[in-house]
Parts: sequence; structure tokens; C-alpha cells
Amino acid sequence: MLEIKNLHAKVEGEDIEILKGVNLKVNAGEIHAIMGPNGSGKSTLSKVVSGHPEYEVTEGEILFNGEDITELDADERAHLGLFLAFQYPVEVPGITNKTLLREAYNTIARANDREELDPIEFEDYITEKLDVIEMKDEFLSRSINTGFSGGEKKKNEIFQMAVLNPVLSFLDETDSGLDIDALKVVSDGVNKIANDKNAIVMITHYQRLLNYIKPDYVHVMMAGKLIKSGGFELAEELEANGYDALEKELVLNGEAQ
Amino acid sequence: MSEVIQRDTMLSYITGSVESSAESVAIRAINERGREDLENTPFPTRKDEDWRFVDLKSITKSQFCKLEEANAADVGDISDHYLPEAMNCRLVFVNGVYSEELSSVEDLPNNVIVGNLAANADNNSVKEHLGTITNYDDDVFAPFNDAAFTDGAFIYVPEETVVRTPIHILNVFTDAEKAFYATPRLLYVGEMFSKSTIIEEHIGLADNQYLNVPVTEFKMFTGSNVHHARIQRDSKKASHISRPIAILDKNAEYHSYTICLGAKLFRNDPRVIQNAEEVNFTVDGLVLIDGDQIADTHSIMDHRFAHAGSHQLHKVVVNDNAHSVFNGKIFVAKDAQKIDSFQENRNLLLSENGKVNTKPQLEIFADDVLCSHGATIGQLQDEEVFYLQSRGLTEQKSRELLVYAFALESVESMEVESVEKLLLNEVIEYTNRDEK
Ligand SMILES: Nc1ncnc2c1ncn2[C@@H]1O[C@H](COP(=O)(O)OP(=O)(O)OP(=O)(O)O)[C@@H](O)[C@H]1O
Ligand SMILES: [Mg+2]
Repeated sequence: MLEIKNLHAKVEGEDIEILKGVNLKVNAGEIHAIMGPNGSGKSTLSKVVSGHPEYEVTEGEILFNGEDITELDADERAHLGLFLAFQYPVEVPGITNKTLLREAYNTIARANDREELDPIEFEDYITEKLDVIEMKDEFLSRSINTGFSGGEKKKNEIFQMAVLNPVLSFLDETDSGLDIDALKVVSDGVNKIANDKNAIVMITHYQRLLNYIKPDYVHVMMAGKLIKSGGFELAEELEANGYDALEKELVLNGEAQ
Repeated sequence: MSEVIQRDTMLSYITGSVESSAESVAIRAINERGREDLENTPFPTRKDEDWRFVDLKSITKSQFCKLEEANAADVGDISDHYLPEAMNCRLVFVNGVYSEELSSVEDLPNNVIVGNLAANADNNSVKEHLGTITNYDDDVFAPFNDAAFTDGAFIYVPEETVVRTPIHILNVFTDAEKAFYATPRLLYVGEMFSKSTIIEEHIGLADNQYLNVPVTEFKMFTGSNVHHARIQRDSKKASHISRPIAILDKNAEYHSYTICLGAKLFRNDPRVIQNAEEVNFTVDGLVLIDGDQIADTHSIMDHRFAHAGSHQLHKVVVNDNAHSVFNGKIFVAKDAQKIDSFQENRNLLLSENGKVNTKPQLEIFADDVLCSHGATIGQLQDEEVFYLQSRGLTEQKSRELLVYAFALESVESMEVESVEKLLLNEVIEYTNRDEK
């Protein structure tokens, strides 16, 4: 489904290279986790994949179902089924959640020759989706993320994911700022959305999320590269020994540059 | 002053003279006064502080003739511009001239008057208040209207009377062979504890050049209440110079909302004057301009007595080479304690060449007052655009929604549904215009 090959990216118009050769392959039905220290480039990777204009791909490619998407705009990528749950969801005063989601849903439907939903049909459709993350329907008529608590913002991202039903989702630290109850709700929601036709890449610092959403693969990102991949046990190892130990081990093995 | 500079007058730029053709003695007296003021007041230049940012060449370079000499086109069918809520409560003025045929006033509460000034010239309220409320020193535009108007709109709401239907004052301007001037006039008299909603509209039906100089006067007696929406959709070649003023007695409420969409040059000097204690008023504005448009608002909120609550939210969106000027004066007189005044000017710049000048001007001589003011100039946030775009919305749609959201608050204060819809469409059209 997604194949990232030797991806290099820098900040547009500046000489700051952030991604320095990322390789990642994600198949339908898989759940991946990316862990890594602050500033290693995890969010940047998710933004580059979603088409943020702030970054420029200087080398490598991003293939989505075989098509190179590096030149596509963010909305065109969303039409193909890409979704990013933001680490810091943006507040947009004056536009309600419902307005955004209806516009988004119908734009994506149109791009894929699927039927659009009229306001009444859409109302039924999203009301149903509210259950996925146990949100009240007053949420729909509030301005996007405006005045939401940290936890509500994260929930809202997953709610949007449920509504737009993407093929591939990057969840950037969706677990940060959630208390244990909210974490359970959000994880349940993600598990309900996950199926064998879609795929999820979670970015997180904590193993606790992975206890609720079981990843098939865990990757470690450091200094702009995925330096090690493994199964769930890699997350446990990181939790126990930290990134420094991993880095030393890799240097000893001559794997790191 | 060391040097006296002889400057041309308004009249010399426009037509040379403005003859009074008003039938009513009362109106002729105001015409006379206006002409005197005009002859004694030099035309402003950029050296005048109040006109620093505005190039009046578009007025001084063109000759504006009387309507009769302009060979103006027929008005045609303008029923699209009628408001469904005000179907039987509408006064229409075509190029400043009252049209009885297009106006429709029915089913008003007892003793309410919605009509033209010329027909009501003998009304006591007209005689008493017409021309007495305008208060623009050293100005040439209010006197120009004074000198030239022969008719206008008159609204009278008696004591304890509530007019539930919005009253639509529709000024339309047609195409013409020559550039002409028009001097629309509106006198509103709200008796004690009366209440109404006024929608004052200016619409250019074609793309021609004209000079629109309206004066509106609101006399608000004790406890009276008005919601006054002003929608300026003049032709993009027109100049519109407005002088709306309200004077408020005790417990009166006057809430005005000016929407600026049209005109090449828009200059608006709203003034609200407190005439007794305990009043409430609003002087909000929404400006959406692009191309080479200039919109300049010079407002005065004049607190002269204690216990006033006043509010001004002036929102501006600028695109292309357009230029917005805002100068918001808040006066608080020496004994006017317990004033709670709020002023905010928020500007959204959509282009690199757009310009915004903003200046709050607070002159406060009382000590127990709460006055806050602020101005912001910002652009659309890239992060907001990306957020919406990542959800599948095109960049254009994302920008449109963000501008829409910015303007929404002001639009929602219209209180008349069809007007809100109309304005939201205008906002969408505005944001789509830069999709070149
Ligand atoms: N637009 C930008 N301009 C300059 N530097 C940037 C920009 N975007 C990202 N960076 C830098 O790139 C590095 C990677 O940032 P990124 O946000 O991807 O890290 P992260 O792995 O998500 O960290 P965290 O775990 O703290 O969320 C950081 O050093 C960051 O400061
Ligand atoms: Mg991050």
C-alpha cells in the first residue's frame, strides 16, 4: 500500500535536512508504530507523507498503491485515502466540525466517483460515527478544536478519521495528553476502524498505547532515519533501556553511521 | 497659522453650483445652510489629518453632473433585490430619487411612518429634527448633501411601538452616460420605547462611475432601540462617502453594522453621540475589498454622560492592491464616568500588496471608565490551510472557508435571514474572485 524509499526531505527554502533516507513499507491490514526521541523527525515524516508544503522532498519517493505521490497536493493525497491525525490539531474558529467534515467527506466522495451525502443523510452518518469515540453531538456544532481540551482535540482527530474512513492513517502522538479512560476510548475507536483493507501508522513515545492497539511492526526513528524495526518486543526493549542503549548497540554492531 | 492657502471648494469640483429645487420650505432652508457651509469650507487634501490615506482625485478629477443631465438608464426589474422579510416595508430610491412605484409600505403598526421626506415635509418630527442631528465640522460632504437633497426617506416610530418587519431602504444606482452625483437622505425618529430594524442598502446595478453621498440621521428618544444594518454594494467605480449619525437619549440603544463590499472609494464616518446617561450602542463594520478599492472608516463614539456601554468590532479583509483605513475615535467627556467601551479592529491580509492602516484614538477625560481597544493584522495561517487541505478540501476551498469564518461573526449580527444569506454569498464570491 505505502512504500517509502530512501526519503530525504528538508525545510522548504532552507538548508535544514530533516529526513535523511527513510525506508518504510506498509501493507493493507497492518498496524505500525514509530517511536523515537524528540526531534528525530517523526512528525516531519507524517507531514511529508501527507503533503505539507513546508517541506521539500529532495530525494527518494513515496509510493501509494504503486503511484508516486510526492508531487501531489495535500488534498489530492487525502482523496487517495491518506489521513493524518495531527500531533497538535489546529484550532479553526468559526468553522464547525460538521461543516468541515461534510465538505471533506463530499469532496473525497466526488474525487472517487462515490455518491455525496446531502445534509440530512450526512447528519445521520456522522451521528452514528460519534459512538466510535463516545462523543456528544454538541461536538459537531462547535468550531474545529476551538477551546477544546488537549484530550478532546485528540479524540476529535480520531472522530474525523472515523468519518472520512481513510485507507492509510498516520496517528501522530494521538495518545499524548489522554488520561487512561480517554486512552481506552480512543484505542477502542481506532481498533474499530482498523480492518484488513486499511492500515495505520502510529507515532508514539509510550508503550502504553501499544498495549491497547497492538502493532504488527515497531520502528525506531533517530536523526531522520528509521534505524531499527522489529515486533512488539522492540517497544518493550525501548521502554526498559531507552534510546541511548539502542544507539550504542547499533554502533557496536556497526549498523549506525 | 502662518499661511493662508486658498483651496477649491466641493462645488467647484462637482458642478459649480447646486440649485435648490426642493418644494418644502424646511428642506430649502437646509439646502441654503449647506450651500453656505460649502462655500466656506475648502475641499480636503492629503495634508488634512483625516484624509491622509485617501486620494480624492477620483472625485476632483471627474465632473459629476446632476442626475437630470446624466442620461441615466431605466431601473428595470430589481425585484431580486427585495428582501422577503420586508416585502411590504420597502422604500426604493433610484439614483437618489424616490420611486413610489417600486416602494411598498403596508401593514405597519398604527401611526408608524415609512415614507419619503418630501411628502412628509410638514410632519412635526421632520420639521423639528431634519438637518439638526448631522454634526460634521470642517466637512464638505455632509454640507454637500445638505445643499443638494430634495427628498429622502423618513421613518417615524411612535411611543411604545415595535415594528417587527424589517424596514428596507433600498438605494439603487443605474448605468448612465455621464457620471452623476446622488445625495440620499434618511431621517429616523424613534419615540420613547420604540423599536425597529432598518436595512439600508446601496446597490450599483451597473459598472458606472457615480458619487453617492448619503446622510442618515437617527434621533433616538428615551428607551428607543434600533438595529441599523448598512450594506454598501455600490458599483466598483463609484465613490461612496457616508455620513451616518445617531444621537441617543437616556436608555436608548443604537446598534449599527456597516458592510462594505463595493465602491472604488468608500469613506464612512459613523458617529454616535450620547445625549443622556445610560445608553448602549454598537458601531460594527465588515469590509471586504480587493482590486484597487479603498475603504476608510473614521468613526466617533462620543460619550458625554455617565453609564454608557459601547462596542465596536471592525473587521477587514484586504486582497490585491486594496487599502483599508480605520480610525476609531473614542471620546469620554470629563464627567462621563462608568463608561464601558470596547473597540477592536481585526484585519486579514490576503495579498502582499494589500494595505492596512489602523489607528485607535482614545480621548478620555473621566477617570472611572473601562476602555479597551486593540488592532490585529494577520494573514491566513498556513497551518490552518494545511489542516483543512489534509482533510481533502482544495486549497481554494480551505481559504474560502477561513475567510468565511473570519467574516461570519459580523454577518450573523444582521438578524435578518435573507440579508445574512446574501452576505454569505457575497463572502464566497469575494474569496473566489482571487482564483485567477
Ligand atoms: N519548519 C521547520 N523549520 C525548521 N526546523 C524544523 C521545521 N520542522 C521541523 N523542524 C526540525 O526538525 C526536527 C524534527 O522535528 P519533528 O517535529 O519531526 O520531530 P518529532 O520526532 O516529531 O519530535 P517530537 O517527538 O518532539 O514530536 C526538529 O529538530 C525540528 O525542530
Ligand atoms: Mg512530533
